[in-house]
Amino acid sequence: MWNFLNNLQKSKHILGINARNIKYITPFNHKSAIRIADNKILTKKILKKTGLPVAITHAIIHSRKELQNFSWQTLPKSFVIKPNRGLGGEGIIVVYGKKKNRDCWVKADGTLITIPYLINHTLGILDGDFSRVNIPDITIFEERIKIHPALKPYAFCGLPDIRIIVFNNIPIMAQLRLPTKESGGTANLHRGGIGAGIDMANGITTNAIQRDKIINFIPESIIPVRGIKIPFWQEILELAVETQKITKLGFMGIDIAIDRDKGPIILEINARPGLSIQIANMAPLNERLERIKGLHVRTTKKSVRLSKELFGGEIEEEIEEISGKKVIGAREQVKIFSSDNEQYETVAKIDTGAYRSSICYSVADKLNLNKSIKKKSVRSALGNEERDIVSLKFMLDNSLIDTEAFLAKRENMKHDMIIGRKDIKKHLVDAAKNVRLK
Amino acid sequence: MPQETIVLILMLPIVATIIAFSRQIIGIKAFGIYTPLIITFAFLVTGIKYGLIIFIIILLIGSFVRVVLKRFRFLYLPRMAILIILVAIMILLMFWAAIYIDQMVFTEISIFPILIMIILVEKFIAAQIEKGWHTAIILTIETIIIAIICYFIINWQVLRLFILNNPAIAIFGAVAVNIFLGKWTGLRLVEYIRFKDVIKYVEFPEQSSKK
Repeated sequence: MWNFLNNLQKSKHILGINARNIKYITPFNHKSAIRIADNKILTKKILKKTGLPVAITHAIIHSRKELQNFSWQTLPKSFVIKPNRGLGGEGIIVVYGKKKNRDCWVKADGTLITIPYLINHTLGILDGDFSRVNIPDITIFEERIKIHPALKPYAFCGLPDIRIIVFNNIPIMAQLRLPTKESGGTANLHRGGIGAGIDMANGITTNAIQRDKIINFIPESIIPVRGIKIPFWQEILELAVETQKITKLGFMGIDIAIDRDKGPIILEINARPGLSIQIANMAPLNERLERIKGLHVRTTKKSVRLSKELFGGEIEEEIEEISGKKVIGAREQVKIFSSDNEQYETVAKIDTGAYRSSICYSVADKLNLNKSIKKKSVRSALGNEERDIVSLKFMLDNSLIDTEAFLAKRENMKHDMIIGRKDIKKHLVDAAKNVRLK
Repeated sequence: MPQETIVLILMLPIVATIIAFSRQIIGIKAFGIYTPLIITFAFLVTGIKYGLIIFIIILLIGSFVRVVLKRFRFLYLPRMAILIILVAIMILLMFWAAIYIDQMVFTEISIFPILIMIILVEKFIAAQIEKGWHTAIILTIETIIIAIICYFIINWQVLRLFILNNPAIAIFGAVAVNIFLGKWTGLRLVEYIRFKDVIKYVEFPEQSSKK
């Protein structure tokens, strides 16, 4: 019962749809600003005028007449065709290259795209094939944003983007949205895309969800979704603040993609941002918004600094910045590599009282690591003892450690591995961290 | 019967309030407020059994028409017209079948509830285009559930008598509840479930130590 009341109290910090609409959208987003946000072409025009990076529009076709007079030769080698009011990524064609000396383009899978095909597709868009209940639409030809190599391994056939919630000129919360096989290449969370929460201080993903459920790995793979470092983090935050200043939407979601050559590009702005970002970040929005209300911050740089300080991870990062060493806990997850590079995961105890690391015989046998390279006598409470030393490779906190370790009888112990001083020279140990890690 | 009509008119604010309540407090979206409301009244005319049968048939035809006509890229209005033609044929067949199996009640159903059901199917198809199968099915089920609940509430004799005797209390009560709902900023019931992990995880040491 007490627990229930406690949770009820805590739930006040979560932003629900009712509170979002009454407390933030109605008072802070004026109708005229929402109208601009809902119109993609107009938004882009306004942002472009002020020099913010948006995808280049190559051409817009409003009507059949414009289509007849359109000169297809003006289109570049690669571009994207999309309906202005398309839903869920339907009707989008991504063109990767142009055939030499011919009026013919190529899609990602190698299929040829001819001008008659493009005319047919454009007609379909104009007739409203891809918009809601067939309202006639406009066709846009846009620059193709090339996926940044830092994010490429995580995205399935599509462009990942970063959603940032900005309120009162300060970035409040962010998430990386990754297209998956299930979402069919769009970064839309409703369609099964992954949303990964981001630490505002350093732009590294912390926690991820798919369909509102927490996940650790990208589906059907062993690629972890935590710890993805987003390039251009500072620029992205600055861009988000600038965008809010220009569009005058007081409470908004901004979607930013990162181009391989150009860096951050604003995709679109949203006057009614979704709330599942709170699950992706395992953090409540309401509490953050309340802290920001009424603040007056003049410069963009200061806004970003405030955001990083208020909503970034714990002091750990600061310590890491000052000392250049990463902080590890009393216990840490490690991956031990076998002789044929298979991985074995376990939790190791960090023991600053020991010099060398040691692992259990049973693990060494399993991983075929039991070839002793030398012996050494150690003094322990039980007297002198001769111990075997083997070479050992393991991953600790994303860094590979290649070392020599003792073999020890640890079958009856809680941990089958101990990490000694020798192997954690690049780390600081926080004795209170990860004590209960399993 | 004027008394029946008066009861139904007085029930309108109650049903509308129930729908608003289930959206703001529970978090059941359904198709807005008008669709569940009018489906409720359609159920009142047809009875819940035949109402659901007609609805499911129309829904199946609607989905069938959409799947079949999708590849031909039909425009929206002709597609809906074909849907209505098929519904008409189906209902005629059902009348015929009802006479054969001696279910004469069915043939006494008027055309208006059937037309009302078609509204729901149009909403269903629009939602399907806009938000996908998953969402469309959930919204439709929610709408039907709300309509069924409201149907039983309207048929609740105690409430009927109360409303007839105290119409002013019923109407002003409904207004008062809606004023409260309109300003309600708390979490919806489904949001408690959706965010339960975040709620568990949230910790504010500085606040808990002060209190």
